[in-house]
Amino acid sequence: MANKNKTIVIGVGRLGSGIANRAAAKGQDVIVVDPNPKAFYGLDDTFSGFKVNADSTDMFALEEHCDIKTAGQVVIVTGDDNVNLFLAYVCSLVYAVPRTIVRFDDPDKGALVEGLQNVKAIYPFDLTLVKYNEIEQDERK
Amino acid sequence: MHIVIANGDSDAAYIIDMFNTKENRLTVINGSEAVAQTLMERKHVAVTIGDPWHNAILEAARVYDADIFISLCKRDTDNFASCLMAKRNFHVKKCICAVSNPANVDLYKKLGIDVVISSTYLLAKSIKNESNAESLIKSLSLDNEKIVMIEATLLPKYWICDQAIKDMGFPKNASIAYVVRNYNFIIPNGDLVLRPMDTLVVACAKENEVEILRFLKRQKSMVEEKPEEPAAEVKEEKKSRRRKKQD
Repeated sequence: MANKNKTIVIGVGRLGSGIANRAAAKGQDVIVVDPNPKAFYGLDDTFSGFKVNADSTDMFALEEHCDIKTAGQVVIVTGDDNVNLFLAYVCSLVYAVPRTIVRFDDPDKGALVEGLQNVKAIYPFDLTLVKYNEIEQDERK
Repeated sequence: MHIVIANGDSDAAYIIDMFNTKENRLTVINGSEAVAQTLMERKHVAVTIGDPWHNAILEAARVYDADIFISLCKRDTDNFASCLMAKRNFHVKKCICAVSNPANVDLYKKLGIDVVISSTYLLAKSIKNESNAESLIKSLSLDNEKIVMIEATLLPKYWICDQAIKDMGFPKNASIAYVVRNYNFIIPNGDLVLRPMDTLVVACAKENEVEILRFLKRQKSMVEEKPEEPAAEVKEEKKSRRRKKQD
């Protein structure tokens, strides 16, 4: 049974730690996963969630340490698009996670998650481009 | 047949040797410039340099509608991404994905990869096969492990020896393909009586493999010791007693 209040953040870089800090501050049950223990330094001192130091492509870690079956949301933001793609498939097809957000640097990878249930992709490249266009338009005005 | 070999090193070279014939068209992609150079020099094949999980590289290598895509990257997730990209964006007919973690074999199949190969997984299966019932029973999985062919040599202690096929109650979900007796092949019918040291080749679905193996390996002593089913009258008597108690 999925717990809407439970968020798993996989990959604790700048974006991952930012999302985890924000979710924990809102009162969500947060679990962060990263194979590098130093990655957790980016979390706030007040971060109240669990830190799992493990390889996220290891199903044992996801099941036993994160209990992914009960997650309401999984945010996948590792620095490796191929790992992110794989985890998006696992969340959707193996664990039927109600909401999965996945980050891709390569927009071509996004096409590969189209049609996957409850998976949404975000692209820093596209977001930057949109922001750039906004700035350009503002300056013209 | 159009075969794409993505990444790999000595394993890629071996596969190139195997399939580099007039009937096949080979496309080789490799992310390592040094390996690509070696393959070009030694195997005399054109190599597209780049990572096979990038759309642009697969496009440059023209893998559209290839018959087979073999991904031999070192990391399992890279193989997954390459196969998925080839399948979804380039309509490759069959993707073969090598994985180093044997636990990923079933998982990757579940995620949509056609064929997943792990050397550790194959090794473990082979060891299991060789250690099975004095090496006299072997099984081979076909069609992506949906079908299993079991080869069993009958020892005199097996209860199916000296029995006609029609009388032994052979499981319905399996079929004896042929019997080898003294180097002769026999296509069996119900009247054939199996003899010790006959070799049976049985085809069945993967999910029935354990049941068939158990059936083949049953020993005469086990069958004789098996308690007989209670007679119909006894069953009826028990039922009537239960009914009386309930009343």
